[in-house]
Amino acid sequence: MNATPTQHQLRLKHGNFSTLSEALDYAASGETGCNFYSGRGKLTHVLTYAGLQQQAQNLARRLNGLELARGARVALIADTTPDFIRFFFACQYAGLVPVPLPISLHLGGHQAYVTQLKRLLDSCQASIAMAPEGFLPFLEEAAAEMDLVLIGGPETFASLEETPDPLSPLEPEELAYIQYTSGSTRWPRGVEVTQSAVMTNLSGIIQHGLQVQPGDRCVSWLPFYHDMGLVGFVLGPIASQLSVDYLSTRDFAMRPRQWLELMTKSRATISFSPSFGYELCVRRLGEDFNEQYDLSSWRIAGAGAETIRADSLSRFAKTLKASGFKPEAFLACYGMAECSLAVSFAPLNKGLEVDKVDGDQLSNNRLAMPFVQFSTDEYQPRCSKFVNCGVPLPGYEVQIRNMNGEVLDERESGVIFVRGASTMTGYFNDPIMTEEVLSPDGWLNTGDIGYWVKNSLVIIGRSKDMIIINGRNIWPQDLEFMAEQQAEVRPGDSSAFSVSSPDGHEIAIMVVQCREMDSQKREDLVQRLRSLVHKELSIPCYIELIPPRTLPRTSSGKLSRSRAKADFLTRIQWEEVTPMLSTTARSA
Amino acid sequence: MISYAEILPQLFDTLKPFTKENFRLKEQTELVAELGLDSLQVMQVLLKIEDHFDISIPLNNLPKIRTVKDLGEEIEKLLKG
Repeated sequence: MNATPTQHQLRLKHGNFSTLSEALDYAASGETGCNFYSGRGKLTHVLTYAGLQQQAQNLARRLNGLELARGARVALIADTTPDFIRFFFACQYAGLVPVPLPISLHLGGHQAYVTQLKRLLDSCQASIAMAPEGFLPFLEEAAAEMDLVLIGGPETFASLEETPDPLSPLEPEELAYIQYTSGSTRWPRGVEVTQSAVMTNLSGIIQHGLQVQPGDRCVSWLPFYHDMGLVGFVLGPIASQLSVDYLSTRDFAMRPRQWLELMTKSRATISFSPSFGYELCVRRLGEDFNEQYDLSSWRIAGAGAETIRADSLSRFAKTLKASGFKPEAFLACYGMAECSLAVSFAPLNKGLEVDKVDGDQLSNNRLAMPFVQFSTDEYQPRCSKFVNCGVPLPGYEVQIRNMNGEVLDERESGVIFVRGASTMTGYFNDPIMTEEVLSPDGWLNTGDIGYWVKNSLVIIGRSKDMIIINGRNIWPQDLEFMAEQQAEVRPGDSSAFSVSSPDGHEIAIMVVQCREMDSQKREDLVQRLRSLVHKELSIPCYIELIPPRTLPRTSSGKLSRSRAKADFLTRIQWEEVTPMLSTTARSA
Repeated sequence: MISYAEILPQLFDTLKPFTKENFRLKEQTELVAELGLDSLQVMQVLLKIEDHFDISIPLNNLPKIRTVKDLGEEIEKLLKG
């Protein structure tokens, strides 16, 4: 078996197609495609775009036989397999809307995973659902009480009768797919992305963000159910006719060095990761590894999807310098599923640009003033560092606004609002949530905090309340809900957030108001909550009990997580918190 | 063919570095709830096990593995397979 080539004859088109199926039709006239590798570096499947087009069209004719309504949702458990891509494009040709669903990597998470799938199937009102072999039992269990037309593995669908009718692919104004945000598992939000939105974003990424050129090749271990994995590394390579090599997320998490080995072997030029992926690599590299890798072809090492930690990235660059890795390859970017994928990219070949600001000015006056070191050794301001995420892609309007909705100037921090052709039309079947973030005139409230430096965006924090642990987004609402399910805790009694530990790791914290005075009972509650959080979300969480009516509230009476966090930081004793997180929790 | 009884002590050895001092591993010990393994530690444990026993644990079997015993039985099954 040979991987698909990097160099090829087809003239490069930079994503200027009107639909995804049109993009695949063009790529299918060349020799490129996608390649799947095992965790031990063996090439296991090759799927050329020509083969993909033919197989997806064949499958589309079989799906047509089910006579589903146009735009009906097709739930797909998105493991890193050729089948996922085949089904995704079969939907494109058949006029159906694919909905990628997550896979679970958690030990013992059977029930939590089934519950999550159930909520997602229900939210997108799927008509049919496909899971790769092995995941089918979870899907069947989740859909047991639902009225789906068909649930099955790839073979079930392959054995459907082929219909002779001509295919009628999804049109530019129809949905291309529904992307569930990696947000709350309890209240899933499905982003509606139209064909024209995703194509606008793809051509912006290919033409301006990455400036794709002949000879480029991609490598990715990002999950197919995340926007960066799906749009960036499944749809992006097709829309730019590039070959791509895949490693599954699970294999990367287990053997991160495989990423570097694959980059070396395929001489790929483009690969992205959240900061934690670069950290994981450095942590797992042993001694004397540099001669094993040749990363000199790596032109764009993208970083995004969570707040970019410049220190982690420069550690990666330093560690792999002798392997030919160039720090200029780092490319900071900013985006979200609600905008298909990308909003802005830093300039190419420049590496990370870190903006150092006066941390006290920032927290007290919301001003990101350049950090100035005083020559005297009296008072020194805090220095905060943020990564410059570059100029928004053409076609976007971006504003930074304060709490009163006023548009802010350079170096004033506030909430980022975005408007443009690649923003979502709304959250599927959720007008209330949609109205909360999308104004009638098309402005999307990203919830992210940032400021301008000239015409570049600097991101201070992703969705201000989101907790990000090892690249996973955890919603504070999910943690607080678990607390409120306990008999001792009432709604509004808990507040969850994350803080950075002295060694730079994010740690989830939940502060809970507790009326119970008995110390054994208090200890029981803490243990029970920690086990529960562990079981449902597989993260450690520090639980602190505080007296009733001590959680800070805003003037309108809402709980303020940011003030609860600020209060917590004033009383925290790290020597008490750190051991608590590694201590063995007694089973509840 | 290596049996469950032989796998168990090897499994305890593999898990030992992930436990607190003086913690006694038992067959019924819960990997996530009791040992407090986070998702990356789980991957490290799996890596060690896969390399040690030269097996590959299918992803879809992870949600069913809760205790040390579950893990041992999974290894036994894969070695037989």
